[in-house]
Amino acid sequence: MPPLFVDDVVGSFRIQQFESEISRALAENTFLTDDLLRQLMGVGEVDLLVGISSHGDASTTSHTLRAIERSFQQYFTRQRAVIVDVCGGGKDEGGAAAAGLSNVAEKNVRLAESASLRTVHRVTGDFSAPPSPGMALRTILAAADLLRARACAVVSPGTLNLAPDWIANLLRPVYQGKVDFVAPLYTRHKFQGLLARTLLYPMSRAIFGCRIRELYSDEWGFSGRLAAVCLNQDVWHEEPILTRPEAWMAISAISSDFRCCQVFLGQKLQSATGSGTNIVEVFRQTVGNLFWCIESHQSAWLDGERSKPGQTFGPDPELTSEPTDLNRHRIFEMFRSGVTELEPILSSILDLETHAEIKSIVSLEENKFKFASDLWVRTLYDFVASYHHTVINRDHLVQALVPLYRGVTFSFLVEHFDSSPAEMEAVSEGLCLEFERQKPYLKERWKAKVEVKS
Amino acid sequence: MRQTILLSLEQAYSNLVHMIADFLPRFLVMLIIIVLGLVVAFVLKYILRAVLGLTKLDRVSEEAGASRLLRIAHFPSMTGLLSRSIFWVTWFGFILIGLSVLGVAGLQGQISRLLQFLPEVLIGILILFLGLMTANFLSRTALLAAVNAGHPSPRILSWSIRFVIWILAISMTLEELGVARQTVISAFSIIFGALMLGLAIAFGFGGQDLARKSLERYLGNTTKDKDKEPQPL
Amino acid sequence: MARQGDNLWYKDAVIYQLHVRTFCDSNADGIGDFAGLTQRLDYLQDLGITAIWLLPFYPSPLRDDGYDITDYASVHPSYGSLEDFKTFLTAAHNRGIRIIIEMVLNHTSDQHPWFKEARSSRENPKRDWYVWSQTDTRYEGVRIIFVDTETSNWAWDPISKSYYWHRFFSHQPDLNFDNPAVLEALWEVMKFWLNLGVDGFRFDAIPYLVEREGTPCENLPETHAIIRDLRKRLDLAYPGRMLLAEANNWPVDIRAYFGDGDEFHAAFHFPLMPRMFMSVKLEDRKPIIDILEQTPEIPDNCQWCIFLRNHDELTLEMVTDIERDYMYDEYAMDTTMRINRGIRRRLAPMMDNDRRRIELLNGLLMSMPGTPIVYYGDEIGMGDNIYLGDRNGVRTPMQWNGETNAGFSTADPERLYSPVISNAVYGSQVINVDSQKRSEHSLLRWMKALIQLRNSFQVFGRGSIRFLNPSNHRVLAYVRQFGEETVLVVNNLSSSAQAVELDVRRFKGYIPIEMFGRNLFPRLGDLPYLLTLGPYQFYWFQLRQI
Repeated sequence: MPPLFVDDVVGSFRIQQFESEISRALAENTFLTDDLLRQLMGVGEVDLLVGISSHGDASTTSHTLRAIERSFQQYFTRQRAVIVDVCGGGKDEGGAAAAGLSNVAEKNVRLAESASLRTVHRVTGDFSAPPSPGMALRTILAAADLLRARACAVVSPGTLNLAPDWIANLLRPVYQGKVDFVAPLYTRHKFQGLLARTLLYPMSRAIFGCRIRELYSDEWGFSGRLAAVCLNQDVWHEEPILTRPEAWMAISAISSDFRCCQVFLGQKLQSATGSGTNIVEVFRQTVGNLFWCIESHQSAWLDGERSKPGQTFGPDPELTSEPTDLNRHRIFEMFRSGVTELEPILSSILDLETHAEIKSIVSLEENKFKFASDLWVRTLYDFVASYHHTVINRDHLVQALVPLYRGVTFSFLVEHFDSSPAEMEAVSEGLCLEFERQKPYLKERWKAKVEVKS
Repeated sequence: MRQTILLSLEQAYSNLVHMIADFLPRFLVMLIIIVLGLVVAFVLKYILRAVLGLTKLDRVSEEAGASRLLRIAHFPSMTGLLSRSIFWVTWFGFILIGLSVLGVAGLQGQISRLLQFLPEVLIGILILFLGLMTANFLSRTALLAAVNAGHPSPRILSWSIRFVIWILAISMTLEELGVARQTVISAFSIIFGALMLGLAIAFGFGGQDLARKSLERYLGNTTKDKDKEPQPL
Repeated sequence: MARQGDNLWYKDAVIYQLHVRTFCDSNADGIGDFAGLTQRLDYLQDLGITAIWLLPFYPSPLRDDGYDITDYASVHPSYGSLEDFKTFLTAAHNRGIRIIIEMVLNHTSDQHPWFKEARSSRENPKRDWYVWSQTDTRYEGVRIIFVDTETSNWAWDPISKSYYWHRFFSHQPDLNFDNPAVLEALWEVMKFWLNLGVDGFRFDAIPYLVEREGTPCENLPETHAIIRDLRKRLDLAYPGRMLLAEANNWPVDIRAYFGDGDEFHAAFHFPLMPRMFMSVKLEDRKPIIDILEQTPEIPDNCQWCIFLRNHDELTLEMVTDIERDYMYDEYAMDTTMRINRGIRRRLAPMMDNDRRRIELLNGLLMSMPGTPIVYYGDEIGMGDNIYLGDRNGVRTPMQWNGETNAGFSTADPERLYSPVISNAVYGSQVINVDSQKRSEHSLLRWMKALIQLRNSFQVFGRGSIRFLNPSNHRVLAYVRQFGEETVLVVNNLSSSAQAVELDVRRFKGYIPIEMFGRNLFPRLGDLPYLLTLGPYQFYWFQLRQI
């Protein structure tokens, strides 16, 4: 019998949607396997939890495990601790199969050294294929919540020189109750991490008001309180969370008024399979991710204040300046050709004035080229606002930013090739202040009605 | 003679009256059907709008780029467009049914053919629309990928993809509408085959150097030159 | 219960450690004596213990609680006479209770006639019965045991103007076992007591018998040769008597004292004891598992002796620095509680008078491999007095009732050898034998039931041990097996309820019978066996195959 009234139709559809949501919720709630739950039962309440979030080969993973165990031995001898190795059940780990208790017991690594007072548990996930970073983090957060861990950290086998004191530095401020989120700081080459320095950090600082340089890192620390809050958010099916959840976690902490800090770790050595050099992919995972976070947390920043300095533990991070071999000409050419070829797309994203300015600098000679900070900031804010209004497919929008970033990179390399690390820091700080200064422009664009550009 | 004329007039008048008497009820029924159709069309329009609102179709449409196309064409949003379409289609259908009730000779047959043709028209429009959307999306994807990879001719690549998909969409639309089916299929096959053969010949024989250089350039992009760009993270 | 004439009786024994001075005073002089102890034998028999280890009761200046002996073949007058001892011995044997006494071979009191002779002149025949030197630089680097009071292992004798060697207090000169006469003299002493009927000796300070230059002067091969000699003589002349070694060392070093079954019958497992306390505090079985995995196999006719507390401080010598710091922080925050790298507290105060933890530890004591030794007063949860000097805080009078002097003595309270514990938690008005006898659910009743249960099965004293290592580290589970007897022991070391799944596939088909209540539990099968335990709860399951 077909429904006669609009309300009945809508009502029955709503019921179906609700039931579907329940089924989905139940299915989501069972993302923890029985075997994992059984292992967690055996662990009980812990003070410290360290999660290994990604898949490495046997040698890198065993190095990571050793570093964690040594950290517990040296710095946390009395604390109850557990290592959650999300990818530990994989074949190339040689891990035992999930079935049977003897295998569960074997998964527990007990330290042979008498320096450790307590059993250090190792809980292993048992995914048939390596889980996405988001699923891995979700598993770690769930374990932290179930085990009521006080201080947690996430590390990756991709960091080849992960040291016990690094892990301790990530855990200690949280364990001592000083903060809820700890971001790392590294020694960088002055031209390394330009994306973070020219876009990710200053933009997130200006928008969210908290100064965390390394939003996209492989290791960070957090409290059990923060873990519980993040775990209960309904974001785990979103693509940005599945690929790079760490920035979202930092931004969630900032937006929810959790205490954040940074801790200096040292120089990081990355494995070849770590964060890639495919710039488009990096943009998708970081810039796209950041834009998504800005969109999803808009209620937190639209009325926000200027950024405030946060706590930093350890010495200030250094910038090194060894000689590098960079093809600046090629970068410039890619910028120029990219802006030219993408003109129709850019015209639908950028404000008229911004676009005109960019077209004017494209025509400059290479030796006279300069991408001014204020133009770059305005460009980025145009992009973010267009992302919010979805003027084009969002993935395409993020990709369209790559040539412009290349222009900024070229300008940066040329201007600061001979600059000292201190001068570079001053420039970075200036850029951050420019982002903050132009924040009202972003708000205006954000709230504006969309104009159609043909 | 006068009586004959009067009789004829009387008969003609009577026939007219009968015709009108015979026509009026059908006319009234037609009006009723049309009015009823209007009401049903409105109801369906609002139901569809509510349903599509729950499925967040507008958001999906924005992301797919379809909403932009609609805005360029000064169409309403996807939800509005679909709900208005269903309104007009439904009402038009009822109008046609109403007209068929009139019983005008020859009209019923035409109306019947029109009703049979209507779904194909709608599907054809849908195919064309989807084709345009896909062409737009994929060409832009290719353009961006080519630009960011440093490909020498990104626009050619992008337009090629757009052109191919347009050809495909138009061919499919015409085939759906049944317009010169054989001609369209043959023409499409010839064009597409020729295009592929041409590309094969160009890259395989006549364009060895070009193919080699393109490959080198492509491979160079992925290894040597990428190393000379600073690591973003 | 071991049969009379069973030479392995010590494997089945439950030993009760006491000092005659502390137990019961029969003559109102404020000091416990053998007559009083004899009067209390019914209590001990009722408790279910099968052997008594007596701390030194020999004549002594009592500067080291009797371990400084002046006459090996007599009884200190404060404790009665030799006849009183004989009466006590007979009465104990009549109740099926064996008697183990101290034999301090390593040193005597400086008031002993042997030493008085030895120091009188360098030409005295007994000069060589002790270890002398003109300088204090011999045996350099050897550790000092009583670090809180001694600064050197050499003491200057003003009479003979030379140094003498002492590993313990300076008033306890070490005997020289390089002189065969010393060994013969001590064997004569041993024969004296063996002829009276004692069932065994606890050799005090055994690792330090012999010194050699360039060694730590502990655990030397010559020491083992002496032990083997004594053991051989004992087995020939007095079969069925037992030698118990006090060697505070790592298990692998203690193992040497068993020899090939031709040295000591039994030895204390010192390193296990602090780890039981550590495990309960950490709520983690790791310390216990680690030390038992390091414990080597011993000959079939040998036995470990395990204990929770004794007359000395809870020694923390056989632990790492981290472990020691942890134990101090958890059990001896007040530095008054610390002495000589140990903790001078009793069991109940260390457990904060938590009945559940006291029961758990006693359950571990009675079910782990070895012969358990119960320190007097721990069966009723006696407290301590850390403000008494040395280790006297754990040697206070036994609390028999809530009356004057806790029923220990009818003397004036001021006359007692030590004040009775009188605080609101552990005072004799609260903690005493009489009140606990009247209560059906008292600790004393519970201990009696526990000991009785243990005595019913030989598996605890003689059986093997296999650890099940469930994923829940708060649960310590193991299976004891001996012949047809199989017992599954599951202990929850934590203060919260725990669930544990045990891999018991090798016992598929067995029926667990909970031993205290004799109730049946579901049969063991292929699937993990789920148990839930309350805080500090433990189960003993007899596994029967029917």
